[in-house]
Amino acid sequence: MKIDINEQSIEIDEKSNIEQLLVRLDSPLKGSAIAVNQKIISRSEWAHYQLKENDQVSLFQAIAGG
Amino acid sequence: MLTDAEMLRYSRHLLLEDVGELGQKDLKKGKVLIIGMGGLGSPAALYLAAAGVGSLVIADFDCLEVSNLQRQIAYATGDIGGDKVALMKHRLEALNPEIRVRSINREMDREQLLMELMMVNLVLDCTDNMASRQMINAACVEAKVPLIVGAAIRFEGQLMFFDHSQPDAACYHCLFPDSEEQTLNCSNSGVLGPVVGTIGTMQALEAIKHITGLPSGIKNKLKLFDGKTLEWQTFAINKDANCSVCGNKK
Repeated sequence: MKIDINEQSIEIDEKSNIEQLLVRLDSPLKGSAIAVNQKIISRSEWAHYQLKENDQVSLFQAIAGG
Repeated sequence: MLTDAEMLRYSRHLLLEDVGELGQKDLKKGKVLIIGMGGLGSPAALYLAAAGVGSLVIADFDCLEVSNLQRQIAYATGDIGGDKVALMKHRLEALNPEIRVRSINREMDREQLLMELMMVNLVLDCTDNMASRQMINAACVEAKVPLIVGAAIRFEGQLMFFDHSQPDAACYHCLFPDSEEQTLNCSNSGVLGPVVGTIGTMQALEAIKHITGLPSGIKNKLKLFDGKTLEWQTFAINKDANCSVCGNKK
């Protein structure tokens, strides 16, 4: 199925969860935050949050600078 | 009551229907702790002092270095080597003698921070590292003090407002549960002055709105700022029931 990640369309397996998506993207789990359709998904939900067709996923890093 | 001098100084606030004399009196009674006197803290502290927030507590333990001056606009070249909080206190008092400024020139531990939180209504996190951010968040959750968090790196900024006086408030840890320093900071990634300045300025704006009782559009939200496109993205943060800092499992 197709989802958008940071405004780029990608193909992922049906019923992928967020953790599987990050592994697929080879993205570090630590320091990352994920939003699906403009809602932050807590880290504790990543393993069982199932993505759906056309979900708009935003992936970004914590920044500490100031 | 506002004095004649204050009426004159804050006349542009008094003209605003949403601030007015009542709002200015609220600002005068306001007590804000600003932690970190760098690129975020510079504009945040200057704006809150200029606005007449009656009591500012500023904390930092760094000396000013030449590489700070590219973005930390409260300081001057002749200040290099001085303690940031001492320089900033001097600067704020010169800007507005009507307010009180107290400085904390050391790294606070949790106990000291909790003590300081008893004396303020609002905290601005303007720090530059993850460990401080997590500690400030946890203390504000515990003390139920509202927290406005800013961060910036490269061309990117992040802004959040967690009103810990409200039971439904999410917290910084719900969003970023990692405390290790794998995150990006100004000294390893670089940052553009106006980007960090924009976020610090937004922290001051939200602080003024909070103190004067104006509603905030960003509570329990994360705003991401892109300095290249000038676009803001907004994400809702729900309180994580499993959060080890603010959730049921703490």
